Amino acid sequence: MRELPYGKAALSMLVLAVLSGAWIYSHPPTEEKATLRLWVFANTHYNAYKAALPAFEREHPGVKVDMQLVAGTAVTSRLLAAFWADLDVPDLVETEISSAGMFFRGPLKDIGFVDLTDRVRDSGLWDRMVRARFSPYMSRGRIFGLPHDVHPVMLAYRRDIFEKEGVDVSKIQTWDDFVRVGRMLTIPNKRYMLEMTDTDSSLFEYLLFQRGGGYFDPKGHCIFDNDICVDTMCWYVPLVAGPGKIGNSLGGGQILTKAVEDGYILCLVAPDWRTKFFELDIPRVAGKMALMPLPAFTPGGRRTSTWGGTMIGITKRSRHKDLAWELAKFLYVEKTQVSPRFRESNILPAAKDTWDDPAFNEPRPYWSNQRIGRLYAEVAPDVPYQYTSPFIITAKVKLGEALVECVLYYKKHGNHGFRPFVKRALKKSADEVRKLIERNPY
Amino acid sequence: MKRELLLRLVRVATYAMLIFLAAITITPMIWLLAAAFKNPDDLFHYTFFSPRVSLGNFVDLFTTVDFMRYLINSVFVSCTVVVVQLFFSSLAGFALAKYNFRGKKAVMILMLATMMIPGQVVMAPLYELIYKMGLVDTYVGLIVPGAVNVFGIFLFRQSILQVPDELLDAARIDGCSEFRAYWNVIMPVSRPMIGAFCLISFMGTWNSFLWPQIILQNSDRFTLPIALNQLVSLYSHQYGTLMAGTLLSVLPVIVLFVILQKEFVAGLTAGAVKG
Amino acid sequence: MISDAAQVKGRRLTWFSLQHKYAPYLFVSPFVVVFAVFGLWPIAKSLILSFYATNGPKSQVFVGLDNFRFLFRDADFVRAVWNTSVFAFWSVFLQLPLSLGLALLLNKKWMRGRELFRLAFFSPNLLGQVFVGVLFSVLFIPQYGLVNKALHAIAGRSVPLDTKWLADPNLVMPALVLTSLWMYSGFNMVYFLAALQAVDQELYDAALVDGANGWQTFLHVTLPGIKPVAVFVMIMSTIGSFQLFELPYIMLGNGPGPDRAGLTIVMYLYNTGFVTGDLGYASAVGWTLALGVLMISLFQMKASGAWKGASE
Repeated sequence: MRELPYGKAALSMLVLAVLSGAWIYSHPPTEEKATLRLWVFANTHYNAYKAALPAFEREHPGVKVDMQLVAGTAVTSRLLAAFWADLDVPDLVETEISSAGMFFRGPLKDIGFVDLTDRVRDSGLWDRMVRARFSPYMSRGRIFGLPHDVHPVMLAYRRDIFEKEGVDVSKIQTWDDFVRVGRMLTIPNKRYMLEMTDTDSSLFEYLLFQRGGGYFDPKGHCIFDNDICVDTMCWYVPLVAGPGKIGNSLGGGQILTKAVEDGYILCLVAPDWRTKFFELDIPRVAGKMALMPLPAFTPGGRRTSTWGGTMIGITKRSRHKDLAWELAKFLYVEKTQVSPRFRESNILPAAKDTWDDPAFNEPRPYWSNQRIGRLYAEVAPDVPYQYTSPFIITAKVKLGEALVECVLYYKKHGNHGFRPFVKRALKKSADEVRKLIERNPY
Repeated sequence: MKRELLLRLVRVATYAMLIFLAAITITPMIWLLAAAFKNPDDLFHYTFFSPRVSLGNFVDLFTTVDFMRYLINSVFVSCTVVVVQLFFSSLAGFALAKYNFRGKKAVMILMLATMMIPGQVVMAPLYELIYKMGLVDTYVGLIVPGAVNVFGIFLFRQSILQVPDELLDAARIDGCSEFRAYWNVIMPVSRPMIGAFCLISFMGTWNSFLWPQIILQNSDRFTLPIALNQLVSLYSHQYGTLMAGTLLSVLPVIVLFVILQKEFVAGLTAGAVKG
Repeated sequence: MISDAAQVKGRRLTWFSLQHKYAPYLFVSPFVVVFAVFGLWPIAKSLILSFYATNGPKSQVFVGLDNFRFLFRDADFVRAVWNTSVFAFWSVFLQLPLSLGLALLLNKKWMRGRELFRLAFFSPNLLGQVFVGVLFSVLFIPQYGLVNKALHAIAGRSVPLDTKWLADPNLVMPALVLTSLWMYSGFNMVYFLAALQAVDQELYDAALVDGANGWQTFLHVTLPGIKPVAVFVMIMSTIGSFQLFELPYIMLGNGPGPDRAGLTIVMYLYNTGFVTGDLGYASAVGWTLALGVLMISLFQMKASGAWKGASE
């Protein structure tokens, strides 16, 4: 018998290995062919840029740009790993505000992104862009990324349900007003006023920022156990955990879609980028949604916050740094690109002088014909500052843990001794972050 | 007669219990099958099957995601590993079963030690080593550290011990070299164990996540587990596509198992039971 | 072991006996080489690395015992050890009896369709932790997922439809235990079944003659008969449980979950080593894990009193 002594199973494995190996050999990774490679993590950005890239390629004949959509967490881990292992990295990378700090951990010379400080000042972008938005992407005084956005936050709500229940949105000026209306509209297990979660800090931070708090101060010290945060936490927890709760969250993606369609959640946190997601993912409520500014914590107080952010950075290993810089500017500040991009992504750019473009003034049928660009531009100047650190992700996680502890305490003991407990829990979490910061030998 | 009735009852109850448990066990997989073929919008509107059967998820899977590529990558890596491991492990198992040589005891202790130490101990320095060899993000770096499967050596040793020495001696008398003896005599006789090993090895590699996650960077080289993990966040608005991908990812192992079922069970329990 | 016939073959004797003598060394050499390079060397290096802090594989800073000092006082590590231990506990004390029970049910002489049942119970194991994780992260979705729908249909109001599993710190571990129960009960059942079928029938007959009832037979014939396998399964189960990573990692969205409820030791290692990039610290964690697992395994072996050393 002339067959392989190992038998049929092994033989077929061998054959498959050879066949697939041949296929792989003849289909090498595609990235090698482009001049510039760009990674983005949000499909709205992806779609917007896809429309814009041909114009760039026309302006620079012979240049091919290859853009890849990569999952958010993967961008950070893959990029970090690629920086360490001297692997091939793309020329330009968009990274999210909460992970950008991860790249600043080691010595300054090891940071994988190009120091853009001089380019930014020379090109006048330092003045044209909202200056607060540079700080999350700076380390030790140097700028490593161009900010993409401002991301002012408003509330999206089911206008049709509000009208049916006789709620006058213009009367909701402060959070107290909002909570009152919320208590009226909430039906436990069937309908909740606001999207809130009791397991992590994702839907808590924007409130913290609105009050002027944050994770870190400009010097990188951890500050989320200060009084502002304690106040915010004491206000937040009863709304999401107690008997009078008006907020709940089931999850994101398709789950959120169904929850909104069913009227399970009435108000959603809406930074400008999220409005596009709603338009795409929850089409069935088109025309029934509208935006309102955030209620203020004190009468006359700040009526917006910020959530999320993206920067674009040029990697040190890029072989076309100047061209990459051109592309970054093209995508972020080029005035001819602004209108189509806003329509694709709903994102207010960081360059202030672009906000008078007519695209921002268009009424949007999904949002009951509100001119959402105008609305966001109006609140944008008020957006609070955000500072970063290599430990930003840990800080978010730790704040989330403190939140969970506070929720558990409140469920058991109610208001009895709540504030001191919150203070202690926050201090404990913040101390853990401080310990990590101290350990960093760099 | 009462005793017979009781016995009957016990039997029926046992069957009922087993069928019930088996049904619960299978349900998630049935759900998976149903979810993959549902129209994308219907995923949560119907619990299991919806009247609208559609291949939309699969079309989506292969057009918006480079799924074909990940599938072929997984096939390549898994099959290659199986073949390589098969060769080295069976060879070593043969040596340990049919020979006495200096250092044999040391080798066996070494083998046992590796089985007891969790692999995670060496992940960090191994990564550093692979980096220094310039093999990060290559299939060589992925496959070579796992080129020898200690559990496999153990399995083959057990099974080859059962091969009668006379067979070997007869081969030697015929003038066979040791390798020839291995190739032409021992291996054909060990086919059941080879079948079992192929399945175990394939399954382990096909489903492996941690090491590929660490080593592979370029998304074009991703294997299915890594690709699917990324899809979970990228496709949270379209679970149907995700489920289609999951279904395709688990089918090969299931098919292989159905074919090699008997050998697999025999091989898996060989060490434990005789031991 | 050279046969007489070979000795007769004159000239070929030298080559023949040579290759016969050295063949085993050659056959074992791939294992030894690969193990030396990718096994022994990293283990040794791991010990050295654990005294350093690194930023990826490129730069290192010597920190002495600082890694270990931090490790044992780190709230996250303590939590990871706790989580993993709880998981291992349930894996052994919930899952193994279940597997044994299934095997006992299937072992009846009169059972038909044994192969089919075995396939059904074993099949979850074939999916692999990653794909099971993906599937179950969708099944555990509150309000719309299969698990909640089923439980709500059975238990009604005591299980509200929007019960959160993977987002509730108290329910993360139960979700993980349940999922792993689903995945591994059949796997261990196969071992038990084989062991049960290998128990000498004569022992059962003798017990019958002695007038033992079902329970006594079980205690004095079955259990001792499968003891080696049971110990083996228990140790393997424990070691496997302490290495838990993929399942929680995938189900909790590549993170430790709410309030670190799903943080396991290996996840902790992965995050500190390959996300933050401190390979030195990861080595320290790895060593601690290895030593801990080793101690627990030795303890288990001693406590069960069975099994003198490895197969010989």
